[in-house]
This record gives sequence, structure tokens and C-alpha cells, in this order.
Amino acid sequence: MRLLTVGGLLAYRALFNWATPVMFIGTLLVGPLFQLLFFAYLGRQLGVADDGFYIVGNSVLAASVLCMFGGSMAVLNERRFGTLGHVLLSPRSRTVTWIGRALPYAGNGLLVAAFTLTVGTLLLGLRVPAGGWPGLVLALASAALACAAFGLVLGAFALRFRDAWMINNTAVTLMILFSGTNVPRSVLPGWMQAVGDVTPVTHAAAASRALVGGASLTEVLPRIGAELGIGLGYAVLAGVLLKLFEAESRRRASLDTL
Amino acid sequence: MRSLRLLWVGAVMQVKMNSRGPFEIATAMIMPIVQATVAVYLLRAAESPHRMVAAAVGAGLMGVWSTVLFGSGGAIQRQRFMGTLEMLMLAPRHPAIKVLPITIATGLTGAYAMIATLGWGWLIYGIRPEFAHPWAFLVAMPACILGLGMFGLLLASTFVLMRNANALCNALEYPIWLLSGMLVPITVLPAWTGPLAAVLPTTWGARAVHEAATGGPVWPAIAWCLGISLVCAGIGALSMTYVERRARAAATLALA
Repeated sequence: MRLLTVGGLLAYRALFNWATPVMFIGTLLVGPLFQLLFFAYLGRQLGVADDGFYIVGNSVLAASVLCMFGGSMAVLNERRFGTLGHVLLSPRSRTVTWIGRALPYAGNGLLVAAFTLTVGTLLLGLRVPAGGWPGLVLALASAALACAAFGLVLGAFALRFRDAWMINNTAVTLMILFSGTNVPRSVLPGWMQAVGDVTPVTHAAAASRALVGGASLTEVLPRIGAELGIGLGYAVLAGVLLKLFEAESRRRASLDTL
Repeated sequence: MRSLRLLWVGAVMQVKMNSRGPFEIATAMIMPIVQATVAVYLLRAAESPHRMVAAAVGAGLMGVWSTVLFGSGGAIQRQRFMGTLEMLMLAPRHPAIKVLPITIATGLTGAYAMIATLGWGWLIYGIRPEFAHPWAFLVAMPACILGLGMFGLLLASTFVLMRNANALCNALEYPIWLLSGMLVPITVLPAWTGPLAAVLPTTWGARAVHEAATGGPVWPAIAWCLGISLVCAGIGALSMTYVERRARAAATLALA
């Protein structure tokens, strides 16, 4: 438990590049807010959906940037700072170590999503039913956890490939398309909907929209469960990939190669 | 003449470097294609297929801006990281002339984005790039790239004083897309954003390219874009001179 919590927090402070106030505000608060405004005005102009569709969708999506990049930094920066070897030499469970790394990002992602939702609601005027807020927090938390697990998967690729930022940027951009946060999923082709079904954020966004539309928590629980299930799947995949790529990096003596 | 040669050789060299960087390729090619795809499906949902060409051009312009923003914003930091900033500044030419090829090259690299989105739209969605003024488009695009490159000099000189230039880059991407009317027309934005948009070279560059593609008076927009960009380049050059001297005096040129 100590490794999971204290270890995770220490790693967050040491490895998260965007923890400084300027970076945090610029990248994680201002950036997603303008993304929300961009799509909301685009939606208004095209008349595809109302503001609520974009406010909720982009709020859930806001968590993804932090969680995915954070999850990657948790692995990638160890290598960049020359400490990856020390971590891998530690005689403790790798699974607990890496899960501990992802948790602070999930918490942080929840805060960013809540900020984006609150400011978006105030700026563009969205009425959220009072009873919907607990469910919304739950849905946002599930999205943040799933994205953090997905971030670890991307981080695992950082052990194998040199340019991990390219993978991250591409993944974050593709998520805008597949998750249905900015494009109604009904207009996407079948294969994109199928990819969206296993993409983090998709089910949490659907649950959040249902809650804002007046659905009860019990009605959206299956959606939240699906989001958590996808997160669990990515966590398992991250564990397997980290183990696989670690062994590969040791075999090729490329563990610390940047 | 020597300055022009320096600009040409420097820009070509920098384009070669950018065209081999996975991050630059992803920024210039993959992301605009995804944005174009998002725009295509939104337009299909809105049943506005007649605006597909404008959407493809708009997504391309968004890619050009992203490339200039991240390329120019990080130009000095990247030189620092590679250990070449001191050598660059030691060269016996004006600092702005040495940095301008880098920022123009980011605009040229961004042209990939336009080609990629137009090609993608044509191949995958059958959006034929039929422009209202094809010859004007061929002038408007380089003018827009040149204008953004000069604007990039101002960005580079501003960001040199900031340790966290990336934060500003990340925060500036969507606001400029929005304010410049690259994909969303400025007319749907609140009225108070009008004066802000009018002083941005990106607004006029985007307007010139859009009007060349869909019809409208292209040349005034090109003139405004280049005029404002020249002012930006002038301010950028003054700022670059000041910043360079200050960094040399404080012995912080190579420090991040």
C-alpha cells in the first residue's frame, strides 16, 4: 500500500513535466477549455448538436490528455532521467509500482475534467440536474482511471520506441474522432464505432450526457461499469506490455537508450 | 543578396531537418487529417456537403498553424537542447536573420498539412479540390506560409524569455484556430472577438486561402496578412536583438 500511494505520489512529483503552475494552467486548464469552446462554436454553426453535447464531451475528454500523457511520462521520464534501471532493479512488484504511478494522474485528471465542466457550464450556460452531479463525478472518475491505464499502455511503448510523444499526440487526437465526444457516434461508420467501443472516454461521455439529460445513476451504471472494464483491460495490457518490452530492452541492451 | 541566400539556405536546411522528425511529421500530417475527418463527419451530420472543400482547407490551415506554433515557439529551446544556440548566435549576422529561416521553415513544413488534408479528402471522401480561384490559391498559400513564418519570429523571440514556452504553445493552439476563422467562421463568435481577430495575421492568411478556395476578394486579405506579418517580424527582430544581448550579458544563452 505504501509503494502504491507514497511511491506513486513521489513519482508524480518527480516525473510529471506539467506540474509547474504555468504548465498546468496553460496545458491542462486553458487548452481543454478552448478546445471545448472551439467545438461548441463549430457545433452551433453547423447545428449538429447543442452546447451541452460539447460541454460534457470535452469535459470528459479533458481528463484524457493529462492521464494519457502522465501515464507515459511515468515510464518515459524514468528513462530520460536515467533512473529506469534503478526502478527495474527494485525487488518489488512491478504491477504495484506502475499502478501506483497511474493513480495520481487519474485524480488530477478528475480535477481537470471537473474544472472544464464547471467553467464550460458557466460560460455557455448548461443546466445540470442537482441529482446528476454524484453520477457525473463517478463517470468522470471512471474516464480518468481508464485513461490513466491507457496512458500506461502508451508508456510501455515508450520503452520500445524512441518518439513516444508522437504516439501520444496521435492517440489523443484520434480519441477526439473515435470517442464520440465531438462527433455524434451515429454518423460514424461501423468500424469507427467499434474502435470507439473499446476506447477510453466513450462510455463515460455517454453516461455523463445521459446524466445531464436527466437519467438516474442506476440507469447509467452499466455505462460506467463498461468504462471501468475497459480501464481494467488496458491496465492488464499495460502490465503485459511493460513486462514484454522490459525483457526485450534488457535483451537488446537498449533500456536507457534515448 | 547575402541575407536572401542565408534565408534560403537556412530555410531549406531546416525543412530537411523537420521533414525527418516524427513529431513534426505527426503534427503536420496525421493530426490535420484527423481534424479533417472530424470536420467531414460533422458536415455530413449537418447535411452541408457543399462546405466540404472549405472544411478540408480549414483543417489544412489548422495544421499549418500548429506546425508554426510548436516549431517557432520551440525554435530557440530546440537549438539550446541540441547545443547549437551559441554557435548560431556567434555567426556575424543579425540575430533575426538567423532565426527567421527556422520560423519560415516551420511554415513550409506546415504546407504538408494542407497537401495531406486535401489529398485525404479527395482519396477517401471524394472531395475534389475544385477552387474558385485556383491561381489565387497558389499565391495565397505561400503568402499565408510566409506571413505565418514572420509571425513565428515574434513568437520565437517572445518565448525565448520563458522557461515554459510549451505551456503557451499548448494554450494558444485552439484560440488561434477559433479567432482566425480557420474552420469556424468568425461571424459566429461574440462581437468582442472581432478586433482581436483583425490584428492577427493568421486571420487574414486564413481568409485569403478560404476566399481563393470558395470565392471572394483574395488580394486584400493577402495584403493585410503580409502587412501585419511584416510588423510582427519587425517587432520580433527588435525583441530578438534585445533578448540576445540580455542573454549574453547575463551569461544565460545556453541555459534553459
